[in-house]
Amino acid sequence: MGEVIQMPSKPLQVNPVKLSQPMGATLAFLGVDRCMPLMHGGQGCASFTKVYFTRHFSEPIALQTTAVTDVTAVLDGGDYSIVEAVKNIRSKITPALIGLYTTGMPETKGDDIRGVASKIDSPLVHVNTTDYEGGLESGWALTAKALIEQLTCETETIDDEKVVILPHVSLQPVEVEKIKDLVASFGYKVFAIPDLSTSLDGHLGEKQAALSSGGIGIEEIRDLADATLVISIGESMNPVATALMKKNPFIRRLHLPHLGGLIASDWLVEKLLEESELKTPPAAVIRWRKRLQDAMLDSHFSLGQTRILVVGEPDQLAGICASLYEAGGRVSLAIATTKSPQLKNLKADCVIVGDLEDAEKAAADYDLIVGNFHCETMARRLGKAIVVRGFPNWEQVGNQLKNDVFYEGGAYFLFECANAATEHRELHAHGSFS
Amino acid sequence: MSSKPNIRELLTESACEHNKQKKPSCNAPKPGATTGGCAFEGAQISLFPYADAVHLVHGPATCLGASWETRATGTSWEGRDFTQMGFTTDVSTNDVIFSGEKKLSGAIKYIVELYAPEAVFVYSTCVTALIGDDIDQVCKEASASYGLPVVPVHAPGFAGSKNLGSRLGGEAVLRHLIGTKEPETSTPYDINLIGEYNVTGDMWQYSYLLDELGIRVLSTLSGDGRISAIRTAHRARLNVIVCAKSLVSLTRKMQERFGIPWLSLSFYGKRDTSDGLMAIANALGDADLIERTADLIRREEERLEQELIPYRELFKGKKAILNTGGNKSWSIAAALQDLGIEVVATSVRKATEDDRAKAAEYLGKDGVLMLNPGQEQPGLIDEKGAHILLAGGRSLYTAIKKRIAFIDVNQEKKKSYGAYRGLLTLAEDIRNALENPVFKTVGAEAPWEK
Repeated sequence: MGEVIQMPSKPLQVNPVKLSQPMGATLAFLGVDRCMPLMHGGQGCASFTKVYFTRHFSEPIALQTTAVTDVTAVLDGGDYSIVEAVKNIRSKITPALIGLYTTGMPETKGDDIRGVASKIDSPLVHVNTTDYEGGLESGWALTAKALIEQLTCETETIDDEKVVILPHVSLQPVEVEKIKDLVASFGYKVFAIPDLSTSLDGHLGEKQAALSSGGIGIEEIRDLADATLVISIGESMNPVATALMKKNPFIRRLHLPHLGGLIASDWLVEKLLEESELKTPPAAVIRWRKRLQDAMLDSHFSLGQTRILVVGEPDQLAGICASLYEAGGRVSLAIATTKSPQLKNLKADCVIVGDLEDAEKAAADYDLIVGNFHCETMARRLGKAIVVRGFPNWEQVGNQLKNDVFYEGGAYFLFECANAATEHRELHAHGSFS
Repeated sequence: MSSKPNIRELLTESACEHNKQKKPSCNAPKPGATTGGCAFEGAQISLFPYADAVHLVHGPATCLGASWETRATGTSWEGRDFTQMGFTTDVSTNDVIFSGEKKLSGAIKYIVELYAPEAVFVYSTCVTALIGDDIDQVCKEASASYGLPVVPVHAPGFAGSKNLGSRLGGEAVLRHLIGTKEPETSTPYDINLIGEYNVTGDMWQYSYLLDELGIRVLSTLSGDGRISAIRTAHRARLNVIVCAKSLVSLTRKMQERFGIPWLSLSFYGKRDTSDGLMAIANALGDADLIERTADLIRREEERLEQELIPYRELFKGKKAILNTGGNKSWSIAAALQDLGIEVVATSVRKATEDDRAKAAEYLGKDGVLMLNPGQEQPGLIDEKGAHILLAGGRSLYTAIKKRIAFIDVNQEKKKSYGAYRGLLTLAEDIRNALENPVFKTVGAEAPWEK
């Protein structure tokens, strides 16, 4: 649809929105039950990441570090720090899984984490996620892929009632739950990997953050390959779906680039009807589709006169842009954190891989911003309307329960955007009369 | 000569309490059992508050991507506030293989041309330190080309803890900025505030009192700081370290080099604020100033007492347990005591020797110093009959279970509890917590669990 413009390459990022691979890997391991994510690198990578997600989810976050120092960086190939870290973790607690992943430093010196992992007598999955390549989406996807490759057993049998969902990283916990519930309402047993819907959904529990509390279980991951169907959401999840299908030649696959708006939701429901051989979907689904139709009409007037900047991860952009576009929202600019095949299909006039300095230079082209916390402060400075979405959202509470997907979430999302744009226009108009 | 500081020397700082006792200091972090930040974060904390300088992080995505715009370090600087902006070279595989120096030079050029800062700080990180990028040379050349300070900060994360990183940040300022400019005027009452970062405007809670007394803040490291001011810091009469032990090496060196005496104090709570103001007046050694300071303290304390009356009644007999780290283990305890709340226990698990001694002093012989707060605090709540738990988010469940009030003290601060006025803010927050029914309501048993 729009054109993807590669910005003339700058030698730096100013007010970056890009997040790193190890941060994506952290979230993915937190979607596994009783897991201890163990970041191999300097202690700061883990410390920053922990604080970052603690503030976003308003929850304590389980995360440990191999705490590589300048001495061990030079003398150690990772063996000492990793073995010692695992020993120290296990002296206090017994994780069902240790998730070992790298940062930039050990990748620079070429630590062989696969070799070290083989020496560790404890359930462990390892993955290379240097932070000078890729971004949040690829870190999450590489980890999901590693979980499947290293844990899931090969099989040739199929359980006709079992479906596996592969959600992209930007889907918030309740969104993953809504997708699981939708598919389950067609009569399936549903598993998501990674599954943040039961771990970072903000539930009160004991022993907070000693380990992840909730998420897909290790045994469930082992037995994933007898699913009849795998549903991947987001282009970043393509390699993950491929990895699962290698475990069983009979798994079939549905792929959705995103799950935002009416058309994408319709497509999924149509496929689920075919698969399940039901004639009509459950009553709630029918009702919510009607509500979304109404929401689109109610919000079209406001959105139709609103020019919008959307900032985020590529898979997240796809859903948001589609949802807004269907109701007449004019996405004049979309700024992606990283490159992705997703970008050429975005429903936006212009798409760039960039930072918030680029957003600020184009300030004359939009009235409403859909983006993260950093966009919120920018919106205040530039006098724009704001709907906060994406990582991080540090000022608002309730992020884990914010639902934008499928008919139901789509309706709420459009209302929120339309109201934000209207309120902004009102303030602006009154301002000019005073 | 490389501008890399001598880390061993910083770790055996003679002005540190624990080094007099020949205890190992600033230990290497333990793999798998570490929670603190890295040296880069420490440097960032100590230098980012300079709002008129651009802070350029030479590293991959995590270092800055996860950390910019996280600290509310207030500034009165009228230009673009660089403390709330992020600049990073975001090094790629290509840079790792072929060196990131060219990219770094380009980034500095871009910043100088587009943002015209007073200085540029360039931070090395684990990856760029490991690939051996010569940031000293790049900074030196840039400094010469653009005619402004371009300061290399050698605090890659793996060098050590946050505390060490703050020292390394201080070293960079000492080596490249302090003493490079003369102040336009000097007074006998010029001081530097060191280690005051003005988070949530903490400094502004007492700086107006210094103004009133005629004590001039010549420069700060680095709350509401200016590059042109810190360059003149060598002409101050006194260095005041505020609530941060990490910069004692800097003040000791400034004493040796420029003959500036230093003292360390806190502006947290009534007693510390009054003691602090008086300590500054005494150090400047002027009888008239000392007298005026005593008058001001009397006036401020009386005003505060008046304003605290409505809270006194409410807080009478109330007991608190405090579970936090570092100097907060005693500074918050002191503030609570100033409000008339009894602090029955405080955690000293992560506190330094010095902080432990202070905590013991403030809590008295009946106070419990917790070494393993996670396990100790549930029992202590019952035993002591505590009414409120002030701790990090991980302890929330304990408070709910025991159905007592809770305040998250580790949450990123939104407002200042500093000095006299801040104590009122703290009192208001504690009252709101004590009166909030949420802890009891949430703690109610579910119908199916009865």
